[in-house]
Formats: sequence, C-alpha cells, structure tokens
Amino acid sequence: MVMITYVEPNGGRQEIDVPEGWSLMQGAMSNGVDGMEAECGGSCACATCHCYIDEAALALIPPAADNEAAMLENVVAERRPTSRLACQVKATAALEGILVELPAAQS
Amino acid sequence: MFSFDPYSPAVDADPFPFYRTLRDEHPCFWSQEANMWVLSRYADIVTALNDWQTYSSARGNLMTELPNRAGATLGTTDPPRHDRLRGLVQHAFMKRNLASLDGAIREAAIDALQPLLGQRQFDFVEDFASKFTVKVLFRVLGLPPGDEVAVRDRAVLMVQSDPATRQKGPAHIAAFNWMSEYASGIIAERVKQPGEDLISQFSLAEIDGERLSEREVLLTTTTLIMAGIESLGGFMSMFALNLADHAEARRRVVADPALLPEAIEESLRFNTSAQRFRRCLTRDIELHGQQLKEGDFICLAYGSGNRDERQFANPDVYDIDRKPRGHLGFGGGTHACLGTAIARMAVKMAFEEFHRVFPEYSRVQEQLPWMPSSTFRSPLRLDLAVG
Repeated sequence: MVMITYVEPNGGRQEIDVPEGWSLMQGAMSNGVDGMEAECGGSCACATCHCYIDEAALALIPPAADNEAAMLENVVAERRPTSRLACQVKATAALEGILVELPAAQS
Repeated sequence: MFSFDPYSPAVDADPFPFYRTLRDEHPCFWSQEANMWVLSRYADIVTALNDWQTYSSARGNLMTELPNRAGATLGTTDPPRHDRLRGLVQHAFMKRNLASLDGAIREAAIDALQPLLGQRQFDFVEDFASKFTVKVLFRVLGLPPGDEVAVRDRAVLMVQSDPATRQKGPAHIAAFNWMSEYASGIIAERVKQPGEDLISQFSLAEIDGERLSEREVLLTTTTLIMAGIESLGGFMSMFALNLADHAEARRRVVADPALLPEAIEESLRFNTSAQRFRRCLTRDIELHGQQLKEGDFICLAYGSGNRDERQFANPDVYDIDRKPRGHLGFGGGTHACLGTAIARMAVKMAFEEFHRVFPEYSRVQEQLPWMPSSTFRSPLRLDLAVG
C-alpha cells in the first residue's frame, strides 16, 4: 500500500492507502474522494480526473505519454506544469506520502 | 464440490449467489467448464485492469471469442497498438463532442415510443430498447437506413454462446459473418466516397504512415456495431428491470429526472450487462495461494466485483442514493468502455422520454428468459404492464 494524501476542492484532506500498481484515479474513486469524475473509467479518454501533483513528487513519476499530454489539453480547470491525469499515474512505493490536489471543476 | 460454469443457464439467470461463494471461498478459482481462472473480488479485478502488461487482452476479451477477432480490435489489443487505435476513434465518443447528437438521440426515443402510445403492455426489449438503440447507432455511424432490423438481430446473436457446447454455435458464427460482410460493404463505400463520419475516418486513418489493416478496420467497425446495439440495449433492459422491480426508486426518478444519472450508475453497479470479460496471462503469477501460468486465461467478473461487500456496503441492495463511484459496470483501466459518455447520455434521454409517457410500470413475467451468454447478461424479453 502507498499512502496518498488527496486534497479535495473544498480543502479537505483524505489520506488513502492505495494498492501498489493502482492508478491515483482508482485510489480516489474507490475511496469516495471528492473532486474527480473519471467519466471514461481510466482509459485516458476524457480529462475528468485532472489533478495537481505535488511539485517535489513530479520527478518521481514518469512524464506524461503522448496520449496523456494531448488529453491534458482538454482539462477545464487551470492547467499547470504539475497537471496530470490521475488515471495515468500509478501508485508506486516512491510516491509514499505525496499530495495530490484536485481542481474545483472537472467538466 | 463447488463449480462455476459461466455457460450454465443458472448463471445466466442469477450469477450472484455463485459470485458470493467465489469471493468468500475461492477468490482465485479454476473453472473447469470455462477453462480459465475466475477473479471475483473488486480489488483483484482493479489490480488486473491496471496491469495490462500481465493481464493481456491480445488473445481476446470476450469470454467466448469470435473467430479471428483477437488482435484486431480496441478490446483485443494491448498498448501501444491499442492506444494508437483508440486515439483514432475516441474523439468521436468524448462527452464534449457528443452535444451535437442531443437532438437526434431524443428524437430517436420519441420516435420509438410513438407506436407504444395507448398500449397497456409491451416487450420493453423488442418494442422500445432495440428500436431506440438501432436508431441511435445508425445516426452515430451514419449507416444507411433500411437494414435496422437485420443488423439488430445479428448484433444480439453474435454475443451469445451455446450452453451445451460452450462455444459459439453455427447461428452465432453465421450472425458474426453476416455482420462482417455488412460492415465490409459499408467500409468499401466509405473508402470510395469518404465522408466526415467515423467509419470513413477510421478506414483512411494511418498510424506511423501506414493504413490500418483491412482486418482491423473491419473487426473494429463490427465491434462498434455490436456494442452500440447489443450492449446499450442490454443495459437499458437491465435498467428498466431495476426500475420496474424497485417502485420507490422509479417514482423518485420520474418525479425528479435529475436523479436519473445516479440511478443509472447504481444499475451499472448492481447488475451491469457486461458481467464478465477475459484476459490472458503474459507471465506466471501467484494469487491467493494459487500458481497461475503464463498463457492461462482469466475471467474478470465485473458483476461480482460490483457486489463485493469489501468495496460496497450492503451490495445486494439497489440504492439510487449510493453514488457507487469506481464501479466496474464499464470495466476499467486502459480498456474501459469506449462508449461510456454516449451510453450514459442515451440511457438518460431514453428514460426521460419513456417516463414522460409511462411513469408507472411493473414486470409481468415472474421468470425472465435470459440471454445465453458467457460475457453479457440481459433478458431476451421484458414484458412491462404500464399505467
């Protein structure tokens, strides 16, 4: 398990143990975290699991592949250098304790 | 001695008691009859969906695969080929690009309801769901009018399997061949005279400077037709069944149609039509004390994961206030259903219109005739008494 702290749009924090190998989207959706829609179910096809990864943690995650980078152009909240689609980021031991912030709007 | 046979009519009719035993006593179960392992717990299924490198789709994703289909469709390829193929079609299915279909989908629902006005009883499957889904699909893919009934009949047969031989029977194969020929004719026309439609774009698309193979174009088109008609229609019938059986939930969504989306999500969890899909292991693994070998087939029982009390409290209760996020009604991960947005939109509109005309309905048959299918689950006929 990898402990991920999700910061919900209203500022609430939820510390969730996400099984290694699951996506950050799956970790949030199956634990009732607010602020994610994940309309497409994790196939990188909707841009509604937009999140901001804590800057220090970004280096620990493989950069966005072409399909994720292209889909990130569709996010409705502000796109920042730390923007990622949570369905494309897998929980690994290296991510223990990171902050994942969710934007105010997904669609 | 417990057994789980996804070809048995008892599983078609009610898989849920079997699923409970699987989850509690045999979380990684070898089904002799299906010749594959069965994963039934939510967490195990999600783990498999997140690990396509281990749980490959390249040898087919239907429990009973159609001949020569594996490797040529979105659902039966792995990344990176899968991602490139999906990139070619997914824009057409994104929520923001579906707005232009709003009017056409609502019109399809209103049209399909017309012949039912004044009736006291009808078959929801044949008389509404199938008419509606065919109209929507023909509109989305720009198919020429005239073949609706033939296409629909074949789409429904294609997904079935024979409970005795545990394979596709001659009628199922014939339906698949008919559909392939039908799709092939459409593709040939579009290649000759390309339009703005999805099939034209897909037929002419290139990946790394190379056109898709004929087989990829053909089988992907065939799969889109099958899913667009059969999966959408099957789910609509399950949703109607749930609302017929749960009168209080139905009265609430009729009084306040804004509740429909959450009711749809709960039905996707409670008894999704996409009950079981298949993967193949690319390496040896150990799971729940069992040794699984490279090349072994795995059944991901979405319908069971959706009833797993380890994930959903009181899972056997139909509760439209549940907000069952993360359910497996559309699968998940890389291969999550391509049509999630259009399915949600079409079902919502269909029931908004249906409820305007028929706010009260109940089930007539005590026992339903269930489709014989190792993958999907929906009634072949659902008689509703209305008014």
